[in-house]
Amino acid sequence: MLKLTNLSRHYLSDDVETLALNKVNIEIAVGEFVAIMGPSGCGKSTLLNIIGMLDNPSSGEYWFNGENVAGYKEAQLAAIRKHHIGFIFQNFNLIDELSVRDNIELALLYHDVPASERRRRVAEVMDKVGIAHRANHLPSQLSGGQQQRVAVARAVVGGQSMILADEPTGNLDSAHGQEVMAMLQGLNEEGTTIVMVTHSPAHADYARRTINLFDGHVVTEDVKAA
Amino acid sequence: MFANYFLTAWRNLLKNRAFSAINIIGLAVGLASCILIMLYVKSESGYDQWIPDNERIVRLHTAYESPGRAPFLTVRSAGRMMPAVRDYLSAEIEDGMRLVVWDTTVQQNGEAFSEQVAFADSSFFNVLNLPFANGSAQSSFNKPNDLLISREMAQKYFGSTDAIGKTLTVCCLRGQTVELTVSGVLEDLPDNTHLALDMLVYMDTEVFGQFPGVLDTWTSVNVYTYFKLRPGVSLEQAQLRLTWWVDNESPFLEFAKQNSGMLPDGTKISDTMKHKLMRLPDLHLDAHNDAGNMGDLTPMGNRKLVATFSLVAVLILVIACINFMNLATARAGQRAKEVAMRKVLGASRAQVAVQFLLEAIGLVMISLLFALVAVELVLPWYNQLLGKVFEFRLFSEPSLLFTLLGLGLLVGLIAGSYPALVLSGYLPGQILKASKSNESSASVKLRHVLVVFQFAVSVTLLVCTAVVYLQTQHANNLDLGYSTERKLVVGIRAARDNLDSLKQQWQAIPGVQSVVYSSEAPTQDNENNNFVTLLGSNQGDKPVEELLNYHNMDYGFFQAYQVQPLAGRLFDKAYGSDTLTPAEQNQISQAAAILNEGAVRRLGFNSPQEAIGRTLQISASGDGLNHLTVVGVIPDIYFRSVKFAIRPSLYMLNPQRFNVATITYNQGQASQVTAEIERVWKQAVPMQPIDMQYLSDMLAAQYQSENVQMQLFSVFSLLAVLVACLGLYGLAAFTAERKTREIGIRKVMGASVKQIMLLLIWQFSRPIMLANLVAWPLSIWLMLNWLQVFVNRIDTWWLLPICLMATLVSVCIAWLTVGGNAAKVAKANPIKALRHE
Ligand SMILES: Nc1ncnc2c1ncn2[C@@H]1O[C@H](COP(=O)(O)OP(=O)(O)OP(=O)(O)O)[C@@H](O)[C@H]1O
Ligand SMILES: [Mg+2]
Repeated sequence: MLKLTNLSRHYLSDDVETLALNKVNIEIAVGEFVAIMGPSGCGKSTLLNIIGMLDNPSSGEYWFNGENVAGYKEAQLAAIRKHHIGFIFQNFNLIDELSVRDNIELALLYHDVPASERRRRVAEVMDKVGIAHRANHLPSQLSGGQQQRVAVARAVVGGQSMILADEPTGNLDSAHGQEVMAMLQGLNEEGTTIVMVTHSPAHADYARRTINLFDGHVVTEDVKAA
Repeated sequence: MFANYFLTAWRNLLKNRAFSAINIIGLAVGLASCILIMLYVKSESGYDQWIPDNERIVRLHTAYESPGRAPFLTVRSAGRMMPAVRDYLSAEIEDGMRLVVWDTTVQQNGEAFSEQVAFADSSFFNVLNLPFANGSAQSSFNKPNDLLISREMAQKYFGSTDAIGKTLTVCCLRGQTVELTVSGVLEDLPDNTHLALDMLVYMDTEVFGQFPGVLDTWTSVNVYTYFKLRPGVSLEQAQLRLTWWVDNESPFLEFAKQNSGMLPDGTKISDTMKHKLMRLPDLHLDAHNDAGNMGDLTPMGNRKLVATFSLVAVLILVIACINFMNLATARAGQRAKEVAMRKVLGASRAQVAVQFLLEAIGLVMISLLFALVAVELVLPWYNQLLGKVFEFRLFSEPSLLFTLLGLGLLVGLIAGSYPALVLSGYLPGQILKASKSNESSASVKLRHVLVVFQFAVSVTLLVCTAVVYLQTQHANNLDLGYSTERKLVVGIRAARDNLDSLKQQWQAIPGVQSVVYSSEAPTQDNENNNFVTLLGSNQGDKPVEELLNYHNMDYGFFQAYQVQPLAGRLFDKAYGSDTLTPAEQNQISQAAAILNEGAVRRLGFNSPQEAIGRTLQISASGDGLNHLTVVGVIPDIYFRSVKFAIRPSLYMLNPQRFNVATITYNQGQASQVTAEIERVWKQAVPMQPIDMQYLSDMLAAQYQSENVQMQLFSVFSLLAVLVACLGLYGLAAFTAERKTREIGIRKVMGASVKQIMLLLIWQFSRPIMLANLVAWPLSIWLMLNWLQVFVNRIDTWWLLPICLMATLVSVCIAWLTVGGNAAKVAKANPIKALRHE
């Protein structure tokens, strides 16, 4: 599905150059469930952002479905992104002013989906993540676990084939964390590719493969026996 | 503690430079506008209140309101009213006096100056107790022809106020030159009075009683009549008694009964002729309601205009205050932690509120400083525009200083109260725990309501400005019905004796096309109205009798003004029978008359043609009659201001009534011609300065005050719009900032930069659209009312495109204001926005 070769990303701020990613080589196949681990500041989020096409690499290649998207303009990236990639964040990133239903619908709003179709698909996915009874609530009226379920629903409602999750359980207690992990696993079993950053070895265990980053390098890759 | 407040406030001011600038600029513009308008309002109000006993001094106004006719309103009254009223209402009235004001020429050391002389009854100072610079009412104003002059006049003619005993030669009081001896010097009148009295003469009532239509008349209104009421008598009481007396017991009633047509059976005098008293302090602002077109000696004010400008001043300030409130509450999140910490450390809600109030007041005071500088800078321009001399001496006038400080304090309290209330109400627990925006949706809604209000006001002002502008243009460009090009108007009263030779000499000047005389030139109004009997007609058992306004025109007058007859002919020397000659007692003299269409209709003719050849009878001066044969009919022309409807008019040719000459000159020869005209005049009338004006200037002067109002109104409404936009800009910048996370999320979901921008712009357009919805009906209603007073008004359908334009303008302004911020935020990389804090 995607392949990174010699991919680097450095930041320049206040005349200090930070090498967040240093010649990373990673390949992820369709249907995989990959966990990315490593100490704080090692470049996990940076890597995920680049994979999610929210950010551009400084050098190296990024092959996505056979296209090298490394030098693409923002608009080109956005066009690929919106059809293929869904995001889940540690802090949920729901829009406070919108109801659960509207937050999920947002992911379809920019996809030229007719209103009736949107409504149908939102209802379907709300059922799937078990949040249908809260459809008209505002995010502030939900627990953290429920909010993250809304975020998951939003990430998949557009039929995205890959979900990128940056510490999706970081703000949740263990019970709610388990719930979200089970949901991701379910999605993976249905064929969705999942790349997840986590600090929790227990949650990394849900993945088939774990990539360990340290200081911008891939240190090890553990593949779980089937 | 205050040092700490001050430090926090100062740091906040610096930290949020853009917001501070928006607030300070907005408030400064608002305060400066307010101060400027206050100067105007202050100068317009408080007129005549320095005159002793002003609250019980009244003036008698007269109005003729015949059914079916445009009312004839004047602030003057008939000469016989004052003594009769004073006698009869002695229980209510302490004293009364009349003023007769004439234009004269004062000759001094071989030079001639035009001056206005007021002749007053001996009781003048019993009513208007004006201060003397030299002399007193008892010693200086006690016999006929005693002359009082103002300090300024004394300086002008004698070089000192020590002028008592000196003489002035005053020319042409009813044809006579008289020597008047100065018997006293009056203090110069201040600016805030409706009076204009540079020369005041003790009126010889014997002599003036003999002049027709001045003192000895019940119907001609040529004097200003003032009364002083007895203490404790209300205006209403006096008014009631006066009206009752006129209708029931006055000698005027006897007079009216004897005059056919004046008092039809079953009517009262007050049905058609109203005598109205108005308080002295109200004269400047309200007399214009009673004035019609015979106004005061000084420019009259207008209470509605003063109120309108006051309202605009308040609105601009309110808009600036709203900016402050909106920005302060929008930014409240930033200050929330500070509030929470202060409260955790023991501050009470009141203490926090006071802190924010003080901050607001401080900011307003800084703005006030800028406003004062701005006022100083624009004052010369403002003075020139308004033709006033506003002084702005802050430090020598402590009352002004305190007023301004009070204003600043008030504005600070208003602007600061809401933010203080909101911010001080934060609960520290919630704030320190929550990381997201903790603003209640109520305060967001209120902010929207306030923005809607600001823009509703702005759009309304825009619409009003546009309508006022169009109406002014409309009046300026109205087809008057005659040619106004290349014309000079010269007053010729002083040359009555040699009009013919003057005309010949002027006509001989190269470049002069024509010289024609008339009783009035366009824009010069008269109230010469006469009852005209249409001979050979029947209306019941009497012939048709109608009141017509009349003018006297020379041969060639209508030709010079390029007015074509609709029927018949214009005055023509060739017929030899057009000129009106005074009729002897019991004699009838024949002459020609021209009517306008209105008069043709008023007399009941169905077409101009029908009127030709008919005879009109009018009473001539002396006791004779004139029989006027209608020889021509001309279209209705705007002889007087387009502010008034065209009256049914009768044009005659009585050379004795000629007052002005209209000189038409050839293109491009204005300067040589004017010089020659003046030279000829100086030879013919050496002791009288020439009174010459371009007709175009006279026409323009009619709209002078409207044009000034228009300019002021536009400037202040544009300022209001500007201040509102400043606020919107600040709000947009802030909201965009606050929305970065939402925008980031939307972008991750696939929204394009364009979509995000549209979203933001739409969010800001919504309140503007709403504001337009409010502004449309409001401004249409206001303007329909305003237009009502104009006889010649723009088509009211104009309101619709104007409203649409105003909407477009306001939306465009909003887009421009918001667009920059929106673009910046929409383009930002979403990663930053989404990183967890
Ligand atoms: N916008 C930026 N500008 C400059 N440096 C940045 C920027 N974003 C990240 N960095 C730096 O790049 C490095 C990698 O950051 P990144 O956010 O990817 O770490 P992370 O592994 O996700 O850490 P955490 O576990 O704390 O989320 C860090 O040293 C960080 O300080
Ligand atoms: Mg991270």
